[in-house]
Amino acid sequence: MYEFITGPLLWVVFAVFLGGLAYRVVWYVKGLSQPLDRVAYSSFPADGAKGAARSILFWLLPFGTHSWRTKPGFTAAFFGFHIGAVLVPLFLAGHAVLLKQRFGLSWPSLPQGLADVLTALALVSIVGIALRRISLPEVRIVTTWYDWLLLAIAAAPLFSGFIAVMHWGDYQFWLLAHILTAELLLVAIPFTKLYHVVGFFLSRAQIGMDYGIKRGGRKGRNMPW
Amino acid sequence: MPEGRLCNKQPVTTKEQLDALLADTRGRVYYEEMNHLEVDKEKLRTSLKNTLKSRTRTWLDMCAHCGLCADSCFLYTVNNRDPKQVPAYKIQSTLGEIVRRDGDVDNAFMQMAMETSWAKCTCCNRCGMYCPYGIDMGVMFSYLRGLLFSQGFVPWELKIGSGMHRIFHAQMDVTSEDWVETCEWMADENSEEWPGLEIPVDKEGADIMYTCNAREPKHYPEDLAEAAILFHLAGENWTVPSEGWEQTSLTMFAGDWEGCKQQVQNVYSAIERLKPKRVIGTECGHAHRATVIEGPYWAGRPDGLPPAPYIHYVEWVAEALRTGKIKIDPAKRIKEPVTLQDSCNYVRNHGLALVTREIMSYLVEPGYFIEMTPNKEHNYCCGGGGGFNGVGKFRPQRNVALRKKRDQILATGAKLVIAPCHNCWDAIRDLEEEYKIGIRWSFLKPLLIKMAIVPDHLKPKEDE
Repeated sequence: MYEFITGPLLWVVFAVFLGGLAYRVVWYVKGLSQPLDRVAYSSFPADGAKGAARSILFWLLPFGTHSWRTKPGFTAAFFGFHIGAVLVPLFLAGHAVLLKQRFGLSWPSLPQGLADVLTALALVSIVGIALRRISLPEVRIVTTWYDWLLLAIAAAPLFSGFIAVMHWGDYQFWLLAHILTAELLLVAIPFTKLYHVVGFFLSRAQIGMDYGIKRGGRKGRNMPW
Repeated sequence: MPEGRLCNKQPVTTKEQLDALLADTRGRVYYEEMNHLEVDKEKLRTSLKNTLKSRTRTWLDMCAHCGLCADSCFLYTVNNRDPKQVPAYKIQSTLGEIVRRDGDVDNAFMQMAMETSWAKCTCCNRCGMYCPYGIDMGVMFSYLRGLLFSQGFVPWELKIGSGMHRIFHAQMDVTSEDWVETCEWMADENSEEWPGLEIPVDKEGADIMYTCNAREPKHYPEDLAEAAILFHLAGENWTVPSEGWEQTSLTMFAGDWEGCKQQVQNVYSAIERLKPKRVIGTECGHAHRATVIEGPYWAGRPDGLPPAPYIHYVEWVAEALRTGKIKIDPAKRIKEPVTLQDSCNYVRNHGLALVTREIMSYLVEPGYFIEMTPNKEHNYCCGGGGGFNGVGKFRPQRNVALRKKRDQILATGAKLVIAPCHNCWDAIRDLEEEYKIGIRWSFLKPLLIKMAIVPDHLKPKEDE
């Protein structure tokens, strides 16, 4: 079982994940339309690139934008969750070992203690995000069952992985649960709005180009995100 | 497919249709007919297929429902944080639903979408600045307005406005003859005080072609006279076109895409005919957006730019003050607390925030200029943007919307508000009328004329 789900199945999962995201990117870029979006993308590539870069960078920075600063609690939870959810899977020592064994790749890894802290932080943040979804009327009104499903899919590998690493309960069970939920997440990403892992960059780049080309960038005024 | 005589899917293109609509006081018959208007689902589906592409689809699909946009929307905060005013909810429950149902929506739905589009969003685009994905719901609402217009679900005043543009190439029934006469009249009227004052019509190759808002010739021609006086003072070589002088676009507010194109092409034809070095538009926000920012795309110009450099009035004023073409008498500078209204259309949407501050540095004695909070790109809509000011049916909602600006102005303590935008100016006038907070409001032109130093050679000769 372990051999299969960390071998052939993992290959398939990666293929679907990467292929799906590649499709998303191509579909998005091909669907951009100068007259319909009303942005002269091709006429001013330098202004567009600058606008796109600023639009992405400021939003990647914790408290880097007015919006992030307006909601410090949410911002802390948001980054707490995302930093853990991105860094830990990519640089966990256990994952690096697997990469070495299966694909012969040598890969950098985080100190285990730091990885544990980041995972715990991410889990606490998810609880915070869930509570916010329930308690704030302005969030509740836009929340659907789909949002809860996606939050659960995103949280499951972190949760099961943390339990496995901590050796709480049946290690084998939690390890398998971790691997399978992680594979489910990877497959779900391109098929659901979790495709924001690329969509965030595409959408932010687009609005950045809009501001950089049409809405003031060419007047020498950078959008104060 | 039942269609009303007044309320139907066809845009107004004849004087008879327009008069019939105008004769229908407050659109009583029009809105009654709207209750029986059928949705052409096939047409709606085709529109979605042809015009809803990856950017907007992604905006709708990817929205994380985080609610971060809520507080960015002044309509949400002034309406007691009503969750139904959360931008993401407003767009998901209207455009989002139309897309999910692939156009299979009914009359009641379309009327709800109409109210949401025109009474719950002014297309100020502030929410787009606060969304982590950069989802701009103002842009989506103006798109939705287009779908609604094509199905006949549009407020009565805006159906009329669109018709005015299609018939008169102006938002009001001002013909070319009326316009040219008004120019002559204004030049004449002020020639005693300003010897040599001219409003040159159709001069080819001038340095400046000036365009304005039809309300100026129609209701307060002194604004046109003031523009002429300031160009005269600055020694500019300028002209106005006899046709193509109207810069505004109620077609944009109405969602009449075809009308938008016709209107802006009329202005661009004037530019191509008169070949001015550059074009300057009046103190209006939406006119600038319609003609300078979005217009080039409607007209299908590949570089997204108008046929000649086209600037907002505030850019010309700042330049005239900077270069000394217009000099301000230091003794006449504003010496009372004064604040400035940032127009969404050319500040958030065209980067002119610092230009207006530069003007303030010339007009206001240091220490008297007070910023609103928030300001510049983050400023709130005046409360009447996007056509909200002009729709009688939604007047109560508009009056509530004015409270944000009222409170922002009150917090500055200023009694004078400078509003270089027609819509903002109107909204601030209306908020004073509605809430009586004891403020005055002004465009830049009258202030500049009061404060400018008039060189001796431009003064009237004294009788000896």
